[in-house]
Amino acid sequence: MAVRPQRIQDGVVERRLRPIYDWLDNGNNKKALQEAEKVLKKSPTLQAARALKALALLRLGKTSESHAVLDALVEEKPSDDTTLQAMTISYRESQQLHKVCEIYEAAVKVDSSNEELYSHLFMSYVRVGDHKSQQRAAMALYKFLPKNPYYFWAVMSIVLQAKTADDSTKRGILLSLAQKLVENFITDNKMEAEQEARLYIMILELQEKWEDILKFIECPLYAQLVPASTTQACIPYYKKIGEWKKLNLLCKDLLWDNQDRWDFYMPYFDSVFQLMSKPDSDNSVDDSPEKCHEFICSIVENSSGRALRGPYLARLELWKRLAKDGDPTLLLGSGVALCVQYLRVFANKPCAVPDLKPYLSMLPRKEREDHSRDFLTCLGFDEKSEPDSIKDIQCHISCLLAWRLTAPMGSAEENLNVAVMLRQHYLRSLQRGLVTSTTTEFCATDSYGILAAHHFFYAAVEQENSTPIIEALNLLELVLHHSPANFHAKLLLISLYHILGNATAADSIYTKLEVKHIQLVSLGWLHAARLAPALASPRALRLLADTTAFHKHHAKDSVEQVTYAYKFGTFEKVLEVWEWGGRIESCAWCGACARERQLLALLAGPSSGQAPQHTVKLPFMPTDNRDLNAIVSWSSADNDRAAYKARSFEKDVAYLRLKDGLLSAIVLCIECADNRSVEKKSEQLEQLRTCIEAFGSALDRCHSLYGERENLNVTAPLPSRIIAFVTSPVPYRELYTNTLRMVCELCAGSSNALTFAEIARTTLVNSREHLAAYALPTLWQNRDALEFFSNYLEFIGVITYLLGVCNEHLAPAHAKRNKKKASQSPEQIQMIEIISKLNDDVQKTIAILEDIFENWPKFDYQSSLEAELEKLSISKYQTPVEQKLKNGLDDVLADVKNILKEKAKFLKSLQ
Amino acid sequence: MTTIRPFTCEDMLKFNNVNLDPLTETYGLSFYTQYLAHWPEFFQVAESPSGEIMGYIMGKAEGLGDNWHGHVTALTVSPDYRRLGIAATLMNILEDVSEKKKAYFVDLFVRVSNKVAINMYKNLGYIVYRTVLEYYSGDPDEDAYDMRKACSRDVHKKSVIPLSHPVRPEEVD
Repeated sequence: MAVRPQRIQDGVVERRLRPIYDWLDNGNNKKALQEAEKVLKKSPTLQAARALKALALLRLGKTSESHAVLDALVEEKPSDDTTLQAMTISYRESQQLHKVCEIYEAAVKVDSSNEELYSHLFMSYVRVGDHKSQQRAAMALYKFLPKNPYYFWAVMSIVLQAKTADDSTKRGILLSLAQKLVENFITDNKMEAEQEARLYIMILELQEKWEDILKFIECPLYAQLVPASTTQACIPYYKKIGEWKKLNLLCKDLLWDNQDRWDFYMPYFDSVFQLMSKPDSDNSVDDSPEKCHEFICSIVENSSGRALRGPYLARLELWKRLAKDGDPTLLLGSGVALCVQYLRVFANKPCAVPDLKPYLSMLPRKEREDHSRDFLTCLGFDEKSEPDSIKDIQCHISCLLAWRLTAPMGSAEENLNVAVMLRQHYLRSLQRGLVTSTTTEFCATDSYGILAAHHFFYAAVEQENSTPIIEALNLLELVLHHSPANFHAKLLLISLYHILGNATAADSIYTKLEVKHIQLVSLGWLHAARLAPALASPRALRLLADTTAFHKHHAKDSVEQVTYAYKFGTFEKVLEVWEWGGRIESCAWCGACARERQLLALLAGPSSGQAPQHTVKLPFMPTDNRDLNAIVSWSSADNDRAAYKARSFEKDVAYLRLKDGLLSAIVLCIECADNRSVEKKSEQLEQLRTCIEAFGSALDRCHSLYGERENLNVTAPLPSRIIAFVTSPVPYRELYTNTLRMVCELCAGSSNALTFAEIARTTLVNSREHLAAYALPTLWQNRDALEFFSNYLEFIGVITYLLGVCNEHLAPAHAKRNKKKASQSPEQIQMIEIISKLNDDVQKTIAILEDIFENWPKFDYQSSLEAELEKLSISKYQTPVEQKLKNGLDDVLADVKNILKEKAKFLKSLQ
Repeated sequence: MTTIRPFTCEDMLKFNNVNLDPLTETYGLSFYTQYLAHWPEFFQVAESPSGEIMGYIMGKAEGLGDNWHGHVTALTVSPDYRRLGIAATLMNILEDVSEKKKAYFVDLFVRVSNKVAINMYKNLGYIVYRTVLEYYSGDPDEDAYDMRKACSRDVHKKSVIPLSHPVRPEEVD
């Protein structure tokens, strides 16, 4: 963020400060500090220079020095803009936004007629969400400078108070007040901006005064402020007050001129279905399905030029709505026939099947499945057709897609046959030069490959066999090779590589997507979330860190965006941007990243890395910001995505809470391990005991709730990590709680520590017997096996770290032991011994793990694609899949072995 | 078959099927929210009946005096919804808003290699006003066409007389 304010009044001061600003803006804070010191030597009291010095100090990490400078400045009550703005930045960067309010409150007292200061004071209240003070500041501003925006700032502040009011009477009073204030303005003819009119409507909406809104929209003032939108603006309010007749006529009018606007069709249908129950004598109103159908048909007949999808889809919508409680076939014939007709007209467009998809699922299942081949053959194609123009290929693809979406879910063999047939279509197109994609555009033929990959996947799941997945991967890499822009192929490749547990191979494609900023959040489930369970720890650490950095930046920046909405008077965006800020702030995935990263760092981070720390508290209601529609689904079984999304989110949140509890317990262990007296830390120790207890019972609860295995779906997230964790034969509850209690009681100086240490040790030793069962997976089992070990390794990371903590805590005792053996209590000696024994056993466990990874199976990645390519004499291409999978697994195993070596070395150093 | 509505913050969570396209840039969050807060009427989305984002346009109004104009910052349509006239619909909206704001013209920058887009803009009445050298950084840098279309306020169409020489990015205001 640039530090320099837009203008500095004093030329001399500006000249002197310029170099400091330059260094700060360039990120050279050390130079900025030196330059500030230089200026202060000449004029030691110059407030602006001191404020900039404080900022440089803060950015250099010298927080307390920075605060000292700032505190001294606050005492002087500065009122010049340059100083205050520099101080504001410091306070913003150190997240002390309330202090910005304080300095401007003091400043306006010193200089009470300064518009700019008042406006900054207003914005400072916006940042902390103090709506009442906002209102006061805005009104004060308006009193001595009667500009419209200030007045409406005050009004908006009242609206926000109403929105956040907890009792309805208060809310009502505040909204009436806001309404009154705006109406006074309207009476005085002072309203002058579109956004002011919109704010007025917002106030009326919050009071559900729909008639008043319509009155306002229909008055000349609205037409003048918001030209050419009156008609459309009425739609939602006609609906609210049940003016169905007006709505019907209005929508029909709009549709005559805009035959493709879905947002006019929907309210039109609403009105027709309402009017059906009380028919009218007015002939111009459509109050029956027949009239409605006639209207749609007349649109089709009267449209000139190319066929528009609107009216055709409208007929399907009518069918769907009539089918809710009646028989639509009397009027419209069979739904299948309508859908087929749609396909016939629009199959040459890639959007045909995406458009049709919601309507295919409305057809009765039996009818849909019985007629699935009608979709395939409606344009004279079948599965064996070999179209040889791009246009025909697109039509063929659309027919194939609609066929697959309606056909019953086939057996593995059927799916394999379909997959091989589709692959053949792709290869044939390739051979005949029909793959015409460029670096930026993909082409229709790609869809043969993508649909084939889906069917290879269905077969693989059915057979629990990885071979079809390998075929899919090979084909998709070929598609991507010829069509590098095709992100559908990329997303599918990532998903399929992860299904084989090969995160490194998935990463080779992920980097091509250039996922960044908000996409780190919406697509985190696809790749970043799967890296740790596939043991790709270094890459996981990096991506988790990127996401956490994005989230932290957002937390600092989002409230600034709300101030822009005030600045530009876009009141309807104030709320939206505010709520958006809150939504991302409460993001479940970002919360998970912050915690996973710290836990994973215990295993795979540098051993001299930062100790785990408390993270920002988990939001009460974490938000789901995943985009699960990114991967297109072509399976008829996939209709209820919303329910799936909700279920998988519930599991993810449960897992997040478990990880949060675990991390909190570890941090408390570290805090309790200092050398304060036991009395002084008794409260924290109690907190730690409660935390461990809560973690244990949460784990039990999750075991009973989420113990069921889930089916794999190539278009959705892999089963939540909580499943592998709670269903593991390794008793994590006992392992974690006893280890944590051991540290806790050790810090409490209690002899119970011995008991917990002994139980932890035995549990650990016994847990090893479960490892062998996962040690030699087939390729199909590889992902599950790696996830099993990722959980186990996470525990190894935690216990190794905690043994280090114990060691630190016992270190003085060690020293004593060497010097004066006699002064050590037998209990202490016993403790040191048992900790050492536990350490030995962790090392032994690590040795077993090293051995397992050393002997991890080598898989066969053979595919039939190359032979097929050869048959068609397309042999220039060499598939990267086998190499990617081999190298990917080798890299991961090498990383894990290194990590384990490091841990063993560390544990040895403790003894 | 389109619903045209203002872009909202939440759309950022579901614009992947548009933004994963290699020629569409994904910006930092504040870039979008600033446009939303400053020029909400210039930021519109075209949505499919099933609720998918088919494309969106993002723009602003800027310039002083007779340089006051509407500017297209981003216009993008998902590959699955191309050649349906969605870009033209969105451009019309932006032009209407610019008319309402009494702009003299609408302008946009486009990669000189993006033939499809350039042709589309030409069909919509835009002309190449000037070439901006090495406007897009990359390897190698790429020139941009600054394309313009006059609004009704520019009665004499002064804003669309092409410059005879190319300009450097720093000369573009």
